[in-house]
Amino acid sequence: MLKNIFSKGRRLAGIGSIAAALMAAAPAMAQDKEPIVFGGSIPLSGVFAFAGVHIHAGLTDYTTWINNNGGINGHPVKYVMEDTGYEVDRSVAAFKKITGSNKVPVYYGDSTGFMKTIASELNSRGTTLMSGASFATALTDNEQYPYQFVPGPNYTQMLGIILEYIATQGKDGKKPTVAFVYSDTEFGKDPIENGKAKAAAMGIEVVEEIITKPGSVDVSAEVLKMRRARPDFVVFHGYVLSPINEFMVQMRQMGLDTQFMGTFWSTDKLIINKMGADADGYMGVMPYNYYDSAEGGPMLDALRATAEKSDPEAGYRPTGYMQGWFNAMVWTEVVKRTMDAGKELTAENMAESLASIKDWDTGGIIGIPVTVKDMSFPVGRIWRVNAKEGRYEPVSDWIHLD
Amino acid sequence: MRIGDAKQSYEADEAIWTSSTQKIWFAVLLLTLAVFPFMADAYLLYLGCLVGIAVISTTGLNILTGFTGLISLGQAGFMGVGGYTVAWLSMNTSLPFPITLLLAGLLAAAVGILVGLPSLRVKGLYLAIATLAASVFLHFIFAEWESVTGGMAGLSLEPAHLFGLTFQSDFGMYFIIVPLAVLMVFAAKNVFRTRIGRAFIAIRDRDISAEILGINLLRYKLMSFALSSFYAGVAGGLFAYFYRVVTPESFPLSMSIFYLAAVIVGGMGNLLGGILGAAFMTLIPEVLKLLTAALTPFYPNAPIFMSPMLEIIFGALIVGFLIFEPHGLAEIWHRIRRFFSIWPFRN
Repeated sequence: MLKNIFSKGRRLAGIGSIAAALMAAAPAMAQDKEPIVFGGSIPLSGVFAFAGVHIHAGLTDYTTWINNNGGINGHPVKYVMEDTGYEVDRSVAAFKKITGSNKVPVYYGDSTGFMKTIASELNSRGTTLMSGASFATALTDNEQYPYQFVPGPNYTQMLGIILEYIATQGKDGKKPTVAFVYSDTEFGKDPIENGKAKAAAMGIEVVEEIITKPGSVDVSAEVLKMRRARPDFVVFHGYVLSPINEFMVQMRQMGLDTQFMGTFWSTDKLIINKMGADADGYMGVMPYNYYDSAEGGPMLDALRATAEKSDPEAGYRPTGYMQGWFNAMVWTEVVKRTMDAGKELTAENMAESLASIKDWDTGGIIGIPVTVKDMSFPVGRIWRVNAKEGRYEPVSDWIHLD
Repeated sequence: MRIGDAKQSYEADEAIWTSSTQKIWFAVLLLTLAVFPFMADAYLLYLGCLVGIAVISTTGLNILTGFTGLISLGQAGFMGVGGYTVAWLSMNTSLPFPITLLLAGLLAAAVGILVGLPSLRVKGLYLAIATLAASVFLHFIFAEWESVTGGMAGLSLEPAHLFGLTFQSDFGMYFIIVPLAVLMVFAAKNVFRTRIGRAFIAIRDRDISAEILGINLLRYKLMSFALSSFYAGVAGGLFAYFYRVVTPESFPLSMSIFYLAAVIVGGMGNLLGGILGAAFMTLIPEVLKLLTAALTPFYPNAPIFMSPMLEIIFGALIVGFLIFEPHGLAEIWHRIRRFFSIWPFRN
């Protein structure tokens, strides 16, 4: 805990210096133009705080970077946030508070629950475009959620990318078999039905399906089921860490040569830090390049430079940071396109601008040009843990779902 | 004890108002509640609605736990029953909101009676576990009965409507939630002026003695469960209309603990305590955030540092209440009243 407090203190000092730099840089920017406000319900405390602090850092650092680079068409950017504790009622309160005292064209939502809850108000207001921590498939339904988008592939698309990869891994002309392990939550169940349908269409047999509590640790009975089913691949969804580690260790102890894969929130360094050498070979789908990957690009380099400057001792920045940064990048692009078209910053106009994004170069954050489809960016890559190096390495090309 | 508070008749003892000052202050409160939505911004209006829903649910739990002495950890489950009832009715019928809310309350009351059945045999922690089990069971139904509840994805509702009026905004919802909260608190107050309410209190104070006095324990305990669940069902229904989305995750176990904490912090067995507890538990996290906001100009990263601290401060406040003011906020309020009542003499 002490270590955590010291680490946060160091971060504070780092980000404090960024804030000072921001204040110093501000006079250089056009002072006569109205600021563009990035709003955010951010989980700095509560169960999602492990990601929330990094999402916040990503959004803060991007704001610094964009302001140092002239803002959006000369408009400075102001990032206004409140902690939500990852509770829907507090997220809604933060939204009301921030939008009540600012004109907020774009907003970060911290959970699927919040984004669904606020949808009707968002639709009736028509002033704000929202994205956030959720990759829920439901949010890419344009009819029900016309002003919300997902900053990457939705969970169904993530599973689709994983299955595309698995399909290429067969031997002797046979498709590998797969098992799905998912949490008994909306998050966990989100892509499973679509995933099963896609697997069937691709000729991949789903040999086992296991539902657990998120974070459960006693999975010995489920592991016995896995021993009987002997899947070539197990795909986890709806977890951050446990019980992925338990499944992997126990199944390997039983001598199974199954390969393990996961989706966005379970494909970060946490799994390497907690499992050490046992994490070797774990794979996951990731729409962004990792902070410590060998990849590069002007925006990825800018991200790394800004991160290093804001907190020189932080080292590796988790995927939450990349996600926060990418969210803000998309907002900037959308606001810029809307302004360039001479249109007002309404939710409808910004949603149109979002839909117009085609073959967009993200400067290395995503390795290929991306196109928006149904309020999402259906692109990703499979990465594999190299435990010795302590990082993820790509094992597939970028996969863009049509 | 306030000076000059001696009651000389049963009517005086049963009276809701004991002085004209009380009536004046209550009128001021009603006026403030009526004017509030016209003065408040969206944020305050939202919080006002949230407090209103919390007051209804806390009052319900107070009837059961505070007045009847039956601990329940099933409040979120009962609210869920109300929420899903309203959601299902709004999607499948065109009933106006007073009917859907009434049905939500009645269905929750029926479930409450079932859950209350073990209360004749078990008390205290055992009953808490029994109600917890019921809450888990209800959560399972919300998550798995997909054809009715929409499964984990939940249900989206149409806005509340009545006589062609649609209550879509927080402003509109305020005029449903707050009057209903006032009405239901008054209804609860009246319950405790009747034989039923006195039977609840007798059961709480000593159930064996109550039975010897001729009180049918099972009947009154189930009645208390039914009444409490009715309140929870209505609160859940309002919750559903307010957010217009219900999912199993809308009614987590932590919500039951929240309301139990509100009853304890406010003051068990005291309706004013329920109101104060609900407001305290809902508003304190927001008030604590003001601390962060005040620090931010001097310390730009105060949110990162302060957010986990606020959770600790919130927890410490609750523990502090339990240790230093076990009778809750209501007792503080009474002490303040006593102070002004006998001023300039010492309390």
